[in-house]
Amino acid sequence: MSDYVSRIDRRTALAWLSAVGAAGATNAGVVTSAVAAGGLAVKGYGTDPDLMNPVVPWPRTLTKDQLNACAHLCDHILPAEGAAPSASALGVPDFIDEWVSAPYPDQVRDRPGLIEGLAALDKAAALLGAPSFTGAAPAQRAEILAAWPKASPLFFKRFRALTVGAYYTTREGFKDIGYIGNVARTSDPGPSPEVQAHLDRELKKLGL
Amino acid sequence: MAEPYDVIIVGSGAGGGMSAYHLTKSGLKVLMLEAGRNYDPLTETPMFNIPAQAPLRGTGTPDKPFGFYDATVDGGWQVPNEPYTVAEGSEFLWWRPRMLGGRTNHWGRISLRFGPYDFKPHSRDGLGYDWPITYDDLAPWYDKVERLIGVTGRAQGLENTPDSPEGCLLPPPPPRAFEAFVSRGFEAMGIPVAAMHGAVLTQPLNGRAQCIFATPCGRGCSIRANFQSTTVLLPPAMETGNLTIRTDALVYQVDLDKAGKATGVSFVDRKTGQHHNARARAIVLAAGSGETARILLNSRSSLFPDGLCNGTGKVGRYLMDTVGANAAGQFPALENLPPTNDDGMGVEHVYVPWWGYSKQNRKEMSFPRGYHIEIGGGRSMPSVGIGRIIADDEVSVGPALRQKLRARYGSVMSFAGRGEMIPNEDTFCELDPTVKDKWGIPVLRFHWKWSEHETRQAAHMVQTFLEVIDKLGGKPAPGIETDGKKAISKGGEIIHEVGTARMGATEDQSVVNQYGQSWAVKNLFITDGAVMVSSPDKNPTLSILALSWRSADHLANLAKRGEL
Repeated sequence: MSDYVSRIDRRTALAWLSAVGAAGATNAGVVTSAVAAGGLAVKGYGTDPDLMNPVVPWPRTLTKDQLNACAHLCDHILPAEGAAPSASALGVPDFIDEWVSAPYPDQVRDRPGLIEGLAALDKAAALLGAPSFTGAAPAQRAEILAAWPKASPLFFKRFRALTVGAYYTTREGFKDIGYIGNVARTSDPGPSPEVQAHLDRELKKLGL
Repeated sequence: MAEPYDVIIVGSGAGGGMSAYHLTKSGLKVLMLEAGRNYDPLTETPMFNIPAQAPLRGTGTPDKPFGFYDATVDGGWQVPNEPYTVAEGSEFLWWRPRMLGGRTNHWGRISLRFGPYDFKPHSRDGLGYDWPITYDDLAPWYDKVERLIGVTGRAQGLENTPDSPEGCLLPPPPPRAFEAFVSRGFEAMGIPVAAMHGAVLTQPLNGRAQCIFATPCGRGCSIRANFQSTTVLLPPAMETGNLTIRTDALVYQVDLDKAGKATGVSFVDRKTGQHHNARARAIVLAAGSGETARILLNSRSSLFPDGLCNGTGKVGRYLMDTVGANAAGQFPALENLPPTNDDGMGVEHVYVPWWGYSKQNRKEMSFPRGYHIEIGGGRSMPSVGIGRIIADDEVSVGPALRQKLRARYGSVMSFAGRGEMIPNEDTFCELDPTVKDKWGIPVLRFHWKWSEHETRQAAHMVQTFLEVIDKLGGKPAPGIETDGKKAISKGGEIIHEVGTARMGATEDQSVVNQYGQSWAVKNLFITDGAVMVSSPDKNPTLSILALSWRSADHLANLAKRGEL
């Protein structure tokens, strides 16, 4: 796998830069954290963010190697399949970076487990004689990934939950899971005959 | 502010918006003071945005507790610079926005009329207190509100669950797939399911467009298809030319003359920190039950040393919230359902009204008051928490994981009980003796205690949920709490805090009369949930609107007769 290429578009990247620059000058957020940015106080988006043009105002903190590791992990969880793109193609590693770098309590709580989990992958690689998880041979990485759920169950579950959450909240994810809403309609016709037939069948099985 | 006004209204939500609508249409010059910033749903509502466009996929944070896109500005459980405190041993949460239209911008839009029993609860079971009015007194105002704002529903003939006269309600949308499914479960338990009364337009009404059956109402609605004070009440009030709105104006005191008549209010501009006064012939407080009580308690003078209208110590008392308890289940019967659009009208299409009135009347239940059930579920827009539909003990990845997610998506339903609390002596708010906000104004301290009337009701809710989950072949989500004392919501958590300045038939037992007119200061009115005497399971907003309209009409009539 070549280096993970960030899916963040130029507009978003510029917005981040300007927001970071402005963060010190304003006093918008009620939340600050000294943890997320390695000792620098970081602000959240505040209690009155622009909902029409959302920006993530905190800097991302993962290293290139950590991002590459995230790409391997999230594509192990959700590789491309048929028309469905892989998790890394949908920018899931960027989301993980945004999440672990965020100043809010839930995310700050999540960060150590995720960072240590990534570090543990390198230790596992070292045991196999590889320089690092990302620098390991594909077969070695496959071995580490196969052992992942049992070797670090909490890290696995958290990382998988975040990957699934990030993946299925995209338009591509909607399509894959079968969410067909978010379109204007002139009426709500209710369940189709096909859906009704499914319900009738199941209710009958339940004796209802 | 030089211009003399007829009426100052404090607050712009359901109570304030409704009063402004009627008073301006009655020809009175009104100044509305709103603590929050100006807010325009037409340009600020992220209608079709998806989670991937929001920070952290839109997940809730302390800055935006109900999610990034929720239509709450500068608030939530904490408002910057405006703390509140909670007495030792109590738990209480206070949801406040700081925006024009207040909580009507994000509210759940469930719009149920109180029933005849709900106005005379003490007469019925000896607990709590009776209102000074009956259902018949308020019914015409419910009719007017429903015709103005647009509410769905259907006559069902259920006990203490009023049907509206012909022409008041809009047609309800059909039940969604999961709602049709769950209805059969409740019906098999002998519990009727009813069409929801939701403040959403299923047909065009009064120049407003109908619902597009997409996008969550909690973000607000840029096409004005649901009820928000900012889209339904304030624009027509502005069109009269009689309404002036000043935002960022945090009112903290009602000003009096030497005779004890209200002359205006004092407020601080949140942006500049400057203190101001505004004057009018009458004052309407509709700042929300908590803030309205705070203004009264902070309005101390030699005439009213314990706070305005507080001669008998009733201000802040009889605070109530709705009882809440929740459970969820996963239903194999809903797995692999063919794709179906469950976006709906934003509000649930069906609900379960309280079905136990007769049993309670025969003293066959362990708790005296009722609750209704709200059901969530379906193939809604995935959120960042969607991974929770996979059981915690399974570790699939790749195609097996995708297969499980596709199969189980939309197969989880949640159940929320919403019940009546009986006011008690241990639940109230008062001024904190030491803590002040950024501008030096004393803040509220809340005291909270549920009684067994409520905790037993919460336990019954959970038992009912477990029964219907079982009936439908579902698996209860792990960790459902069946002990009512633990399952019950925290005070304030359901965001239906009412009481604190209740109405009554006599001055010694209440703060205001049946029209929201203060006993102590005749040109001071209260038109928010503070005036409520009881808090039935039916969500309070529709009743706040009806009460506010009735009060405003009384005020307008007094003004016409020169009796203000």
